[in-house]
Amino acid sequence: MAEFTLRLRRYDPESGEGPFWEEHTIDLEPHRSVLEGILQAKDRFDGSIGIRCSCRAAICGSCGVKINGQPDLACHTHLERAKRRSKDGIIEVEPMGNMPVIKDLIVDMEAVHWKKIRRVTPWLIAKQPVPEREYIVPRETMVDVTQSMACIQCGACVSDCLSMEVDPEFIGPAALAKAYRFVGDPRDAQHRERLEDLAEDPHGIYDCTHCFQCISACPKGVAPMNQIMRLRRRAGNDFHIEDRNNGERHERAFVSLIKRNGLLDEAELLPRSYGGDSALAKFKPSAAAELASSLPVIARALLRRKLTPAAVLKPHKLPRADRDQIKRIYDEVDGPDERVEFNIYISGKDEDR
Amino acid sequence: MKVAYWPGCVSRGFTPELHGSMAQIAPLLDIELVALDRASCCGAGVIAEHNPELADTLNARTFALAQQAEGTALMMNICSTCQGSQSECQERLDASADYRARINATLADEGLTYEKGLTNKNFLWLLVEEIGLDALRERVRRPLTDLRVGPFYGCYIVRPADRLGIDDARPRETYLGQVIEALGGTVTDYAGTHKCCGFPIITMNKDASLKQAGRHLGDAIDAGADCLVTPCPLCHLNLDLQQPLAERTVGRDLGMPVLHLPQLVGLALGLAPDQLGLQRHIVKPTAVIDWTTAVVGEIDSATAAGG
Amino acid sequence: MPAHDVLIIGAGLAGQRAALAAAQAGASVAIMSKVHPVRSHSVAAAGGINAAIAIDDDWTEHAYDTVKGSDFLGDQDAIEIMCSEAPGEAMHLEHIGVTFHRNEKGELDLRAFGGASKKRTAYVADITGQAILHVLYEQLMRHHLTVERFEEWFATSLILDDAGHCAGAVARDIRTGTMEIFDAKSVILANGGNGQCYKPTTNALICTGDGIAQAYRIGCPIMDMEMVQYHPTTLAENGFLITEGARGEGAHLLNSEGKRFMEKYAPNKMELASRDIVSRAEQTEINEGRGVGPGGQGIFLDITVVPKKRVLEALREIVNIGRDFAGTDITRDPIMIRPGQHYIMGGVKTDVDGQTPIPGLYAAGEVACVSVHGGNRLGANSLLDTLIFGRRSGEHAAQRGGELAMPHAPVSRLREDTDMIAAILDRPHDGRRISEIKAELGTTMNEYAAVYRDEDGLATAHDVVHRLKEEAASAYVDDRGTVFNQDVLGALELGYMLDCAEMTIVSAIDRKESRGAQYRLDYPERLDEEWLKHINVTRNGDGEPGLSYSDVTITKWQPEVRKY
Repeated sequence: MAEFTLRLRRYDPESGEGPFWEEHTIDLEPHRSVLEGILQAKDRFDGSIGIRCSCRAAICGSCGVKINGQPDLACHTHLERAKRRSKDGIIEVEPMGNMPVIKDLIVDMEAVHWKKIRRVTPWLIAKQPVPEREYIVPRETMVDVTQSMACIQCGACVSDCLSMEVDPEFIGPAALAKAYRFVGDPRDAQHRERLEDLAEDPHGIYDCTHCFQCISACPKGVAPMNQIMRLRRRAGNDFHIEDRNNGERHERAFVSLIKRNGLLDEAELLPRSYGGDSALAKFKPSAAAELASSLPVIARALLRRKLTPAAVLKPHKLPRADRDQIKRIYDEVDGPDERVEFNIYISGKDEDR
Repeated sequence: MKVAYWPGCVSRGFTPELHGSMAQIAPLLDIELVALDRASCCGAGVIAEHNPELADTLNARTFALAQQAEGTALMMNICSTCQGSQSECQERLDASADYRARINATLADEGLTYEKGLTNKNFLWLLVEEIGLDALRERVRRPLTDLRVGPFYGCYIVRPADRLGIDDARPRETYLGQVIEALGGTVTDYAGTHKCCGFPIITMNKDASLKQAGRHLGDAIDAGADCLVTPCPLCHLNLDLQQPLAERTVGRDLGMPVLHLPQLVGLALGLAPDQLGLQRHIVKPTAVIDWTTAVVGEIDSATAAGG
Repeated sequence: MPAHDVLIIGAGLAGQRAALAAAQAGASVAIMSKVHPVRSHSVAAAGGINAAIAIDDDWTEHAYDTVKGSDFLGDQDAIEIMCSEAPGEAMHLEHIGVTFHRNEKGELDLRAFGGASKKRTAYVADITGQAILHVLYEQLMRHHLTVERFEEWFATSLILDDAGHCAGAVARDIRTGTMEIFDAKSVILANGGNGQCYKPTTNALICTGDGIAQAYRIGCPIMDMEMVQYHPTTLAENGFLITEGARGEGAHLLNSEGKRFMEKYAPNKMELASRDIVSRAEQTEINEGRGVGPGGQGIFLDITVVPKKRVLEALREIVNIGRDFAGTDITRDPIMIRPGQHYIMGGVKTDVDGQTPIPGLYAAGEVACVSVHGGNRLGANSLLDTLIFGRRSGEHAAQRGGELAMPHAPVSRLREDTDMIAAILDRPHDGRRISEIKAELGTTMNEYAAVYRDEDGLATAHDVVHRLKEEAASAYVDDRGTVFNQDVLGALELGYMLDCAEMTIVSAIDRKESRGAQYRLDYPERLDEEWLKHINVTRNGDGEPGLSYSDVTITKWQPEVRKY
């Protein structure tokens, strides 16, 4: 047994007062969970502490909170570890972010998380005709979608999504992982429709800022951002959906500029992202407006000699021989043949065999 | 120490002062840079998004070139995004001998082979883990006394922790603070240290992108920082190059200087601001330069430049 | 005031399946749950779902295995229905999106499970319950126009009309504290078991026997309550579940001598004998001094014999549980387990359509006792039970509603429950804490109404539960608010648990034989002549519960000696 002090963020909506911190000292083995600590405080000292919880074993998804500022399940975090990670030896527990607080550690999942889940048409639209027995599908596909199926809807990824922090309308990591669960499912009949929908939405797959926060936050290894990247890959690369958010154009421009020079030519990337993957892109009307708004920045960069006109006009590139090798690699790996995706989630690592 | 040096694209493109300042400080830290000038772009996550095998092959080629660089102890990069993208590819390459063989077959044309287990460290990691903070402290000629520096890591170098080898033994997510302190500066903590600069969505959702940059800069100002320091040139683009637009988006004046990590180290090692390309920034690092001139008299600049 | 043809209380697998079936049959449906549906305890069912879908399998074999597993206490008509409808139900789940794992040919893969004569368990890694629950919730979202959801609403009591029919429920919106009458032509209870009567238990904190106690309180008989399943592999330290799928994939049980002791108890099926047998074997090893760990109170489950790649693919969740909750890497080291309370075979007595003896009241899932599990449930039959009888209840209730007028409960019923809650809030601060009473109940039950039982121990438990019931009546709550007052709901749940515990104890005392999960040290034999029958408990005011008996339905399989 050891003593731990918890600093809980309390809020009573009926009191008329704002939120406040409250400390409780509890007594448990160090490898017990923060949830058990909170429940002990609730049992021994104050039954009014509000926290959703049920299974205690990281499967029901009820007890998402922030512990020392990081989102996790309270039942999934050891007291000892939480104490070690705290700033002053006191384990700080507060409600998840990006969602309104109802009471104490309880947030309004319905208003944010579930609304977003419903946004992605979260059910299988089965391929017709429905077979008499099971659909025959490749073994790996069901292992693959099990990764997103493993999502327990705890909201930890939503809590700390950095895109959602600045754009509350972003569909978000949990809902997009859910969307991949159907796009990756060979039994679903509407892959293209789903992808068009999510690519065209300004708050859809191209609104993810690729910050890995959801991967870190997820207690179940769902890796939502990876699923979002796969949605982009399927949208842009397999279905060639040219979205109005420049998502597909940006990707195509980036990839083809590297093929050409071996190194990134930033000066060309911007116009092509807006106007399409061609040297003439910057002269297209769609690009012109965007570029004009960037002009003051570019002018200032030139003025400061941060950028030289030469650098803008003559991009750095690899030596000829290496450029040829890069082109050859592109031709071999990025050709018309079926793409090979090595996925550690499905294949495992050698040392785990 | 001799390292296979991967500068990345942006450090030679839109932020040339980064590559330049790294080249300036390397000799002062006894780092010999063997540039990987045949290597290609890491893909910055975008090529992996497009086709993971393509990104893996391009980076395997870079790793193979690094492994060929004679006498080098490891590979070093100076860009959070390169670190993260390359670590992701390396994780896949190292996971499976079969997959590695497949990739190496593509490289065979050039006579290149990637062998599992390359060490690839960002300059930040190398500073703390290879050079060491004590050794760094000893080389400081102009301690960053009274300079309040806000760390800005860049997502790719702090998440996900397991892939990047971050654990209790190697708390790499705290290294910037440790380096700032070793250089004699004061760490300014603010909400955005480990958040996203917004750069990846600048072409897709400009408003959200600039809001991120603007918010972090504003938080740093509110916390009293004189400047930010970042190991990521892409963050630098959004935080510095785009700062005038970010100001407009968040509706407040910012004027927060953002330094590249080698620039900050260079200042402490005694180099002059213009040697480090500070004058090239969009947001003029007046506070930093003023601070430098205020203390610069105490240093014999010739000694400093000579190490 | 909400009014529906069918009101479903509980939104786990049984409840959601019932809701979808009733809606499809044309009924207006409300589904209510004290937690968000995906938090329901069905989420924890790990290993899989049984269905005789393999070419070389037949539902009659599944039925026989189930009958034998039940120690011949299961009703064979119900078992036949469950097993014959299983393949169709599994295919239905597959068609609506459950991501069942496949074999190399792309067909549903099947794994071995305890007490089964064939590989018959379809699975999604070791998150089968979660996968099915979430897919059903997808369907609820899809059918939101026909199924109205009341998420985080707590049913406080069932409504009986003057004719003695169940006509709805009173419920409290947990978020706002608002109380409402829910009129309904039929009510389906689908709110799970009462594992929280035990400590430790694999069951979630929400498994407090609400439905069993509420049905009991309106006069419904409760059957087979003495049959409490102890799962053979729960974490020694805290009782968390390690799926039977681990043994299905080939894991061994070892005693302190490093021996696979199941050789002695079930030489043919070894670790995959039925759960009652394996749990008893473990407890015997522990009692005879061959346990492992602190005080010799554990047994080793050795998963290292399963290829690591297979473990990481098919048993991911227990890799996590081992790492996070026991500090053990199950791919390298054996993990310490012991038998732990897991499932209540008993429950609200129903027929094969989920109907209880009270018209208008149905029950399905763990809250119900059809009885398909009899004295001992087979692994991977519980998901099946919830789905088959959830669907059948939903269909039947929808049909029944067509003929009836919508009932209207008097507003006085609302006042009764509002007053009851107000009275709890007004209790003086001088009683025991609810948490203390609950903890004492749990340890008492786990000591005396566990794997091995005898008259003295059960009598002791009986006395303790009586005292706790008195103490519970004055136990005080800290929270006086209306928004998310979990404290006051805890007081109600404690009352339900005490009712359930009492029913288990009186039934266990009454059954003077050993069968299935009930093992009486003082009556170690199975006595078919006298005890091949169900015990039914009915409420008798505040006095001792009334006991009566009903026959076991036997169709094809006469009782025989049970060996694995």
